[in-house]
Amino acid sequence: MSETQHEVDEALLSGYVDGELTQGDEQRVRVHLAKCAACKLTTEELLELRKATMNTNFQVPKDTQWDETPRGGLSRFFHNFGWLIAGVWLIAMVAYAVWQITTDSESIQLESMLGFGVLLALGMIIVSALIDRLKISKTDPYRKVQK
Amino acid sequence: MPDRELVVSARNGDLRARENLGRRVGRSAYVFALQLAGNRDTALDIAQDAVLNFFKNLDRYDADRPLDPWLYQIVRNRVRDLARQERLRRHDSLDAHLEQSRPESATRADDPVHEAEIHDLQRRIWQAVSKLSEAHREIFVLRDYHDLSYREIADVLSLPQGTVMSRLHAARRNLRTLLAAEGTKDYE
Repeated sequence: MSETQHEVDEALLSGYVDGELTQGDEQRVRVHLAKCAACKLTTEELLELRKATMNTNFQVPKDTQWDETPRGGLSRFFHNFGWLIAGVWLIAMVAYAVWQITTDSESIQLESMLGFGVLLALGMIIVSALIDRLKISKTDPYRKVQK
Repeated sequence: MPDRELVVSARNGDLRARENLGRRVGRSAYVFALQLAGNRDTALDIAQDAVLNFFKNLDRYDADRPLDPWLYQIVRNRVRDLARQERLRRHDSLDAHLEQSRPESATRADDPVHEAEIHDLQRRIWQAVSKLSEAHREIFVLRDYHDLSYREIADVLSLPQGTVMSRLHAARRNLRTLLAAEGTKDYE
């Protein structure tokens, strides 16, 4: 579509749709559109296109996603293993309580082991949290931002 | 609250304003980064960088000027840096980028068929936009998704204002060709 065929530069149609033309160019385009069905159709299509895009909504992350930091390998190991030990300890504790009630006997060695188990589990979970804290303190992009 | 008031309040130490401003800047940066990079994880990284950059320079920012062009310039530069370093991750599903339910986009809110048609058209357009060249995609996105003026687009893209109209029209022409090629009604 050349200017000689259509009297106006085709790009002016975009400027017309966007309301970005000078008064003179706008007048030229308006006069041309009154007699050129092809350019009138193009203008209508551009308006339809713009209407559809301006009403398009893009998904944005939830507020919580902005603060999520992926857990590193060592931290994940301590975290998962700590909770595993805590789970095993809980089951053993319940089993021990049931055994003590049913047999009315005592086992100092088992009690020590259970005590050690809970301390180990809590220790590993705390270490995992400390690793995360240490990592965040080094990589937090907001650490230099003044509060 | 308008951007200017948010910026002024944030500068004066209003924590709530800082939080709202951070959220507003982050969301705008995320959407534009997603539109350029085509990947949600990359867009999130870029948006976080943009928020950081914004707050670092908050005192130097002219609150009387519109916020978005400045923000989009930061995002665009970051996307181009990543592309240069070949660190842009591959595109994820384009359908996942759009909201599924957009009642405000329907002209007849009670007509689910009409709403579905609009959503389908928006999805097709977005798919076609993602096939445009980088230069055409960014100028089209800035005008037709973010409603920036030609002057603002010229600032963001460091182009002469006169070039904006011709490049934008070329982008729109290519987009219409792509839509017609895949059989979208009204563009055949």
